[in-house]
Amino acid sequence: VRREKREPSLPSNLVKKMFIHYVKMPVAKDALEAVERCVNLYFKHLSNDLEAYVNHARRKTAELADLELLMRRQGLITDKMPLNVLVERHLPMEYRKLLIPVARSGNKVIPQKPR
Amino acid sequence: METEAQRLKAAFHYTAARLCEEVAEDKGICFSRQAIAAVSEITFRQCEIFARDLEMFAKHGKRSTVNVEDVKLLARRSNSLLKHITQKSDELSLNNLEQKEKKKKKSAAKKGRRNSNEHEEPVAIVNEDSNMA
Repeated sequence: VRREKREPSLPSNLVKKMFIHYVKMPVAKDALEAVERCVNLYFKHLSNDLEAYVNHARRKTAELADLELLMRRQGLITDKMPLNVLVERHLPMEYRKLLIPVARSGNKVIPQKPR
Repeated sequence: METEAQRLKAAFHYTAARLCEEVAEDKGICFSRQAIAAVSEITFRQCEIFARDLEMFAKHGKRSTVNVEDVKLLARRSNSLLKHITQKSDELSLNNLEQKEKKKKKSAAKKGRRNSNEHEEPVAIVNEDSNMA
């Protein structure tokens, strides 16, 4: 029995838990379903925008700069709220270690910047 | 003592009033003075946002000059607006090409007499590469 092909999306459990964590109040089931649909739509828009920004920089690969521009246009990153602060606030430690370079002893910077 | 921002706002207000007059004639309605003032204020603030975004887009394309591509990226969200702006930019680039050809012909001919019927429209953006990337 082959599973029918569905559109790839975030696990509904994850979306549910995150949403409930942030709203801090009971949420109806149909509201959660609506939130899931919104998340899928959000990713659709996000990928379209990202594609436009990557093409604008005449590249084929999405880079950190493209995402930063996207978040700036979404109003998440402002002059008072840089990307690194958002990373420190919302991402767990292992991701922060990947994104924000830290100077260690012996003149080592971890992680090393690509290229 | 008048600041630069105040003068700009006054210019915005005047233009907004003119445009509102046109719309009023077209639709057969009347704009109150407060409505016109609100429209001009909204336009002024929206321009700040546009300026910031355009600067970002130009920087993203590793340029220091804002060009047509950046403006198109700004208007990408709404389809009809994008169509309109693309059409306008095509017209502008055509105009530029014509003017360039005229200049070339002039410089090639090198005639002493001046063309009296010269009406150069002020073109805000000189688009060097009009081909779409």
